[in-house]
Amino acid sequence: MGREPSTNGQARDDERPVSANDGPPALDPDEAAIYVDGLAKTFGSGEDAVTAVEDVSLAVAPGEVVGLLGPNGAGKTTTIKSVLGLILPDAGTVRVHGIDVHANPRAAYEYVDAMLEGARNDYWRLTVRENLRYFAAIRGQDPDAVADRHEELLDHLDLAAKADTAVRDLSRGMKQKVSLASVLAGDISVAFLDEPTLGLDIESSLKLRTELRRLAEERGLTLVISSHDMDVIEDVCDRVIIMNEGRVVVDDTVEDLLAGFETRGYRITARGGSETALADLEDRFDLTDVQHTGDRLRFEVAADTATFYRLTDAMEAHDLDVASVETVQPDLAEVFVEMTNGTADPGGTSEEDGSTTREAPANRSPASERGDRR
Amino acid sequence: MTAAAGDDRREGDGPGDAGGPSQFTDPERTGGYAHLLKAVVYRDLLIWVRYPLNAALGIFMGVFFFALMFYGGTMVAGQAFSDSIEGLIIGYFLWTLAIGAYSGIMNDIQSEASWGTLERHFMTPFGFGPVVVAKSIAIVFRTFMTSAVVLVVMLLITGTTLDLNLVTVLPVATLTIAGALGLGLVMGGLSVLYKRISNVANLLQFAFIGLISAPVFDIPWARFLPLAQGSAMLQRAMRDGVRLWEFDPLTITVLVGTSVGYLALGYAIFGLTTRRARRLGVLGDY
Repeated sequence: MGREPSTNGQARDDERPVSANDGPPALDPDEAAIYVDGLAKTFGSGEDAVTAVEDVSLAVAPGEVVGLLGPNGAGKTTTIKSVLGLILPDAGTVRVHGIDVHANPRAAYEYVDAMLEGARNDYWRLTVRENLRYFAAIRGQDPDAVADRHEELLDHLDLAAKADTAVRDLSRGMKQKVSLASVLAGDISVAFLDEPTLGLDIESSLKLRTELRRLAEERGLTLVISSHDMDVIEDVCDRVIIMNEGRVVVDDTVEDLLAGFETRGYRITARGGSETALADLEDRFDLTDVQHTGDRLRFEVAADTATFYRLTDAMEAHDLDVASVETVQPDLAEVFVEMTNGTADPGGTSEEDGSTTREAPANRSPASERGDRR
Repeated sequence: MTAAAGDDRREGDGPGDAGGPSQFTDPERTGGYAHLLKAVVYRDLLIWVRYPLNAALGIFMGVFFFALMFYGGTMVAGQAFSDSIEGLIIGYFLWTLAIGAYSGIMNDIQSEASWGTLERHFMTPFGFGPVVVAKSIAIVFRTFMTSAVVLVVMLLITGTTLDLNLVTVLPVATLTIAGALGLGLVMGGLSVLYKRISNVANLLQFAFIGLISAPVFDIPWARFLPLAQGSAMLQRAMRDGVRLWEFDPLTITVLVGTSVGYLALGYAIFGLTTRRARRLGVLGDY
């Protein structure tokens, strides 16, 4: 248990590396809503042993919304279930609001619940309201005493009109919302949501995202959302944790994570110049998507700040007038793929601990210098 | 009674106590064990009535098999069979109770695991134990209702009368099927761990017939088997009109001891299997 968990995004220093498993913690175990330190789990033994998670450390502040991403087999589910006490880890400390989940689960479960099975998280033969009452009761609530709060919850999730309908008669998206409602019915402060928007149409998904943000901001609900829908993560989450091969490879705010990739390229439109000029530029720089029509030249180029300025100098030397420069900005999905495919390493991986480090992007991006972030 | 797990909470457990930046306040617990029990029993009954065909078929099959035995036995053995009909009815009634409790809790755990709701029952401030106990009570309650219907129909079919002193029959029958409940918990735990165990589970149902008809008066150690002592006492209570307080203390002690013992053993094994399932990461997987 040597290392402390990574910092949470709220207290991030701009110079801090993107990775988890490094840097001083911004939260101590008692301050964090979720605190995981040195979590490890291997399934099986001998040649059949599979390491699901290895030395995972993270901390989530109360009221923070964190997205947990990773390809299949990255260790997300094992991490979540270990935090919830549903899997017994081989090593590591897990605390919810300072309470050791494995030593004192009943006290920890006062605060935490999870939607792990999507729409199969509740009983389809019961009505929406019956589900809410049941799950509130098994979480220590008198269903009658919290009926008003349940009505409010149904209203916010657009389920009020279907409150007395059996869940099995609802659409897939509605079932998903009932599942979420049944988790929130128990007055919790920490919720793990696995694919909360799965099966929702665009409008419902947007509404749910708004509701999740509202719950975090108004009720101080701490949310950990595991999803393959990058739009949800981007819209709802304050911070993203990306796991790969059982480790946390990225732990950063969504904004900074995206900003860190802004400098990967520029889309430049210029006027003038000749084929010779273009050939020279192609020879010296990594130009892609080149379109040369008449007087108009358009291309993309992968470049850091210094390269960008060398390129503009070269264009000037060839009498090319720069008409426009756009940063080529990836979305979270592209960042995710780049961070987990094992081929692109934005800053290098420490051989000792597997942590990824990267220069703080805000300091090297011309786009950032111009305040040109999206 | 409030705050299910409140007793376990330490000073400073809550986020507010930790002095963190949360705007969150401690969850307010307004319910207790009574609400848990009520909710679990109500849910069990709701699910049961919302599969009406399944519920009706369960009762029908119970009556049908008895009718088959009764008319078949009468045709083959005639008066000799009719003379022992009271014992058959009581034994069959107890068998339906035992099967209901055993398969009820086993199937409940298995279906919760396969459906995806078992883990939610694990993550309650009450702890998994009280939830499982509440489920067991719900299942015993429902089983008594269905078995009572089967018993009434059996009495009507055969024109037999039995002494149904509830003060005697209910506690003896409840204690008797507690052993079956314990076996159901064992099989439920094994199903969480090994998933498909229906062949073994079904086999055990037939073993109940042997346990219910075990000759405890001829073979003294047989009374320590599950169901055996209670079955013998129920026969005397319903056929001979023996009241609960008329049984000798040793007989009652053996009944209570075996019932509580098998139930506790079943619960302990269930706890071990679910812990093992958590170790293997298969608690909610099916």
